[in-house]
Amino acid sequence: MKIFYQTFGRARKKFSSFLNRFFKKKRTRIGIYGPPNAGKTTLANRIARDWTGDAVGPVSEIPHETRRARRKDDIVISGANGATVTIDIVDTPGVTTKIDYHEFLEFGLEKDEAIIRAREATEGVAEAMHWLREDIDGVIYMLDATIDPFEQVNIMMVGIIESRKLPVIIVANKIDLPDSAPARIRSAFPQHPVVAISGLEGKNTEELYEMMIELFG
Amino acid sequence: MPHKCTKCGREYEDGSTEILKGCGSCGGKKFLYVRQEEIHKDVLEEKSVDEIASETKEEVLEVKTEPDKGVEMYDRVETIRIVGPGTYELNLEKMAEGDERIISVGKEGVYNIDLLSFSKDEKKKQKKKQ
Repeated sequence: MKIFYQTFGRARKKFSSFLNRFFKKKRTRIGIYGPPNAGKTTLANRIARDWTGDAVGPVSEIPHETRRARRKDDIVISGANGATVTIDIVDTPGVTTKIDYHEFLEFGLEKDEAIIRAREATEGVAEAMHWLREDIDGVIYMLDATIDPFEQVNIMMVGIIESRKLPVIIVANKIDLPDSAPARIRSAFPQHPVVAISGLEGKNTEELYEMMIELFG
Repeated sequence: MPHKCTKCGREYEDGSTEILKGCGSCGGKKFLYVRQEEIHKDVLEEKSVDEIASETKEEVLEVKTEPDKGVEMYDRVETIRIVGPGTYELNLEKMAEGDERIISVGKEGVYNIDLLSFSKDEKKKQKKKQ
């Protein structure tokens, strides 16, 4: 009798997991990655505001403002010819290989505040890498177009993203600034689509949304 | 032929590899080949080693030591290196591989190993990867 119930229970579990895979909506979780101050949170806020009316998180000129990953679910993005994509956006803490609290002192923080911020920023990077391993289906890699992209962290991160076979859009941000050079970023990453935008002013975001529908849909 | 340090005169056996690091007594990097008979000439005749060099017309060997190369970032075993309070070095590639935490504190050779992060269920990890 017991054996009968056990086999029945197992069969039921297998059946329900089969149903789930068939009918469950596939989540497309898109992570916004990049070095600190590239404009990730600003873009996440813009995407959220453009399509849902909410914001995702605070921004600041002090690097490592985002120190925990923040997620906004079920954002529906529509394109010109009616195509849409439904994504979850994950705004991640800025990724870097060195964190030094002295950097924050220059922005007027007290030493103990700066040390706490540095520790939280380090935990943030660990969390960002954890997300990348576990639950991310595609990446928007943000770069400040006024800065040389050939930094160790960018080469490492794009390499890691490629090795996980994740679709990635490279965004050359801050084209509103006079010394921005998106062409430099295109030549640095010729193997990936590069979209030049201003997340702050909303310039050329339509091209980014079309690329997101094409790559992540 | 034995070697003689040009600074302090200390003698080394022929083919001694000690001198590759510099003279053991004075740290000098220049050495001279001397014939066994002449090895104590500088003391007996009160000549400097350089004078003997010009007499015997032997070349003075200069040993070049390689600068101590630090450990490359990708060879590092730790995921996070605490250089000082509020100052960190992060090994992104290691972080991308797994959740295991090995943290080094301060000087080279001191590591904290977070065993709990290693013991996360392997089966769960494999299932999540699918």
